[in-house]
Amino acid sequence: MVDAVAQPPRNPGSIKRFIERYPFLPALVIMLVLLALNGLWQPRSVGLVGLTGLAKTYLALMLLAVAQTYVIYAGDIDLSVGAIVSLVNVVIVAFMSAMGGDTITVLAAMVIGLGVGLACGIVNGVVVAVFRLQAIVATFATSIFFTGLALWVMPVAGTPAPATFWRAYGGRILEVPFVFWAVVVLAIMLYLIARTRLAIQLLAVGDDVQGAYQSGLPVTAIRMRGYALCGLFAALAAFCITGDTASGDPLVGGKMTLFSVAAVVLGGSALAGGHGTVVGSVFGALIIGLINSLVYFVGTPSEWQNLVQGLAILIALVAGILIGRRARS
Amino acid sequence: MSPPPDQALWDIPDMAKLSISGVSKAYGATVALSHGDLDLEAGEVHVLIGSNGSGKSTLCKIVAGSVKPDKGKVVLDGAPVAVSGPRAAKALGIGIFYQELSLAARRTVEENICLPDLPMTGPFVDRKALSARAARYIALFDGVTGEDFAANTTVDVLRADQRQLVEIMKTLATEAPVLIFDEPTSALDRTQVDRFFEILRRLKGEGRAIVFISHRMDEIFAIGDRVTVLRDGRTVGTTRIADTSPAEVVRMMVGEETSLVVPAQAEAAASPGAVALSLRGLSGKGFSEVSFDLRQGEILGFGGLHGQGQSAVLRALFGAAPAAAGDIALDGQPFVPANPRVAIRAGIAYVSGDRGRDGIIQGRTILENVTPIHFLRNRLKLASASTLRAKATPALAALNTKFAGFSHPIGSLSGGNQQKIVIARWLIDRPQVLLLDDPTKGIDLSAKADLFALVRKLAQEGMAIILYSSEDVELLANADRILVFNAGRVTRELTGTDRTRFHLYEAAYEAA
Repeated sequence: MVDAVAQPPRNPGSIKRFIERYPFLPALVIMLVLLALNGLWQPRSVGLVGLTGLAKTYLALMLLAVAQTYVIYAGDIDLSVGAIVSLVNVVIVAFMSAMGGDTITVLAAMVIGLGVGLACGIVNGVVVAVFRLQAIVATFATSIFFTGLALWVMPVAGTPAPATFWRAYGGRILEVPFVFWAVVVLAIMLYLIARTRLAIQLLAVGDDVQGAYQSGLPVTAIRMRGYALCGLFAALAAFCITGDTASGDPLVGGKMTLFSVAAVVLGGSALAGGHGTVVGSVFGALIIGLINSLVYFVGTPSEWQNLVQGLAILIALVAGILIGRRARS
Repeated sequence: MSPPPDQALWDIPDMAKLSISGVSKAYGATVALSHGDLDLEAGEVHVLIGSNGSGKSTLCKIVAGSVKPDKGKVVLDGAPVAVSGPRAAKALGIGIFYQELSLAARRTVEENICLPDLPMTGPFVDRKALSARAARYIALFDGVTGEDFAANTTVDVLRADQRQLVEIMKTLATEAPVLIFDEPTSALDRTQVDRFFEILRRLKGEGRAIVFISHRMDEIFAIGDRVTVLRDGRTVGTTRIADTSPAEVVRMMVGEETSLVVPAQAEAAASPGAVALSLRGLSGKGFSEVSFDLRQGEILGFGGLHGQGQSAVLRALFGAAPAAAGDIALDGQPFVPANPRVAIRAGIAYVSGDRGRDGIIQGRTILENVTPIHFLRNRLKLASASTLRAKATPALAALNTKFAGFSHPIGSLSGGNQQKIVIARWLIDRPQVLLLDDPTKGIDLSAKADLFALVRKLAQEGMAIILYSSEDVELLANADRILVFNAGRVTRELTGTDRTRFHLYEAAYEAA
């Protein structure tokens, strides 16, 4: 009797809390549906080769969506992530082609690349958090600046990356494709970062800046660190792009910026900040990737591809909201 | 450690845990605090009291570092300190409960409690230690936290009283020697308040110095050791609770010289006209069972502490947040303000003190800001600028509005002149009922004078007006009749010679 009375109000509440705690669940559902659709149209796309190809192409967007998530946690945004990818891409390719393609050079290039990404992130952080400019406008401006730097480093696309680099990216370790190892390492990194003080502090700042400041949190430093972390992950994304395209291109990342924002939103994070998960953003990036390949597999004529892609992303966004709402009510 | 037995001991300066003197803060033309003094002993609960806008919260925020004072001195443990920000305050051992709360809504209760100082192991947050530490403070309120309250609940699903408890726990978790509580009990029920007071008494016994703000006299006399009264941004005096009485405290808040004097401009409209607006048992979010008649030519005042339902009633009448139950009659006809458009077309005008949110159209010209109501009431689709200017000019002139040209952006005007533009927008087509929701917030004295002169003139011309003001002086000087709100209900009506500060405070501060 007591149970019968107590149960009805508790049940929807617990599902609601479940969704609240794991806001990426709708994205996971959509991703699995898209994966099934892909398999339906092109069975080989969900085989090992197909999935390796998907991971190879979209690992960069996954990393970039993760990068974007950390600034969005704090209620900020970074419209320069794509430009950072381009800049890191041309810097490491130029460095490696100048120094030769041996392993030491590749490792040194990666250290330099991470340094460039970090520096770009710190520039964004200073402009947004210290000088208090609007994040959306300030990072748009820095994106032009970073793109300018990339064009100065490498005025035209096409310088090839050394074979060591892209062979490793496309290769296998212990018979398992390298990109899968990369996904595992990414998962471990995300898990560890989620346990740091910074993750909670970023979310607290995004939730209520005034409240966080009044709680004695170093708000400026926290937002700066968010941008710095974003820059580092953008550099990692640039490594993947370089591995995938095997060349330097000063404009390669530009169009990825807004896809990274879309992936974050698809993943269930709030653009206003204070709420979200990086896992959701990874799923969001995969949703975008799966939509692109599905559009291709169903044989959409090339002039219609953008239109269908755009519609499909819109539908995925709406579906995510509806799934969340249905589960909550 | 109990409080020192006599006055003489308190006067020894190095005995004070915290001593604040001559602190002031102004925001543009608005002086929030003109001269704040406070001496806080270790081992006492020190009550701060004062009417709306007397500077209590500003004083607290200065001590907590979240507001930088323009002038003044803060001395902690005998040494002058500069509280440059909340982090500095934390380092100095000052913890504060914010009236408006400082919680992260999407974080859990335990994360919020530990947020200022997360326990770490190496580079990672120690979740176990965090839970254990939060649990200690949650346990203090064991049994009174209410349903659905758990350490891992996110704050956004909690009720107002539960959030207030979380903010209290967060403040206690600072373990600071100086604790400031700015209205910690406003949403709590009796058992929660009793539990909180038990905790305060224990902390006092441990030698903590505690500042406590509340508007409830019974609470103040139940928990306080000393009381410091603020009036109009100044510290009026400090006495021991044991040596005073509620009436005495109200008298200090009011000031002796004005306590029993009826304000000069208290002349009611010669002969109030017919009933323009009548409410019967109106209830909604934030107010219940509100009934009154408003006559043409009358200025009806809404008084009481902040947020006791005054604004909510006005917004319900304007259709911005419709009432749930009760009847409204406008000119004797039943009237249901389902949304602001219905209310505006029926002849209701609403002016809010929150210009940014409810009033001005930011970034647009003065002309565009004066004419939207004219468009709506006359269902205009197109109009020439010159016609509109001709209509707007007399409305703006009536208020002595200073502006360079109709095409200038609204942002080029001072707060006072912006508010005049907002009011003028209602005067092109005369409304029957004018609702003023704390209309003078943040505007200077001369603009206030212009505004109230106009309001009186409109009343004399037969308009029915409701004025809610958070400044009691304004209310007493301008309203013909005052309804005092307390916890969403009208608890007292002040008419004629009863319209004094004393009666207003007495009604506002009695326990609901």
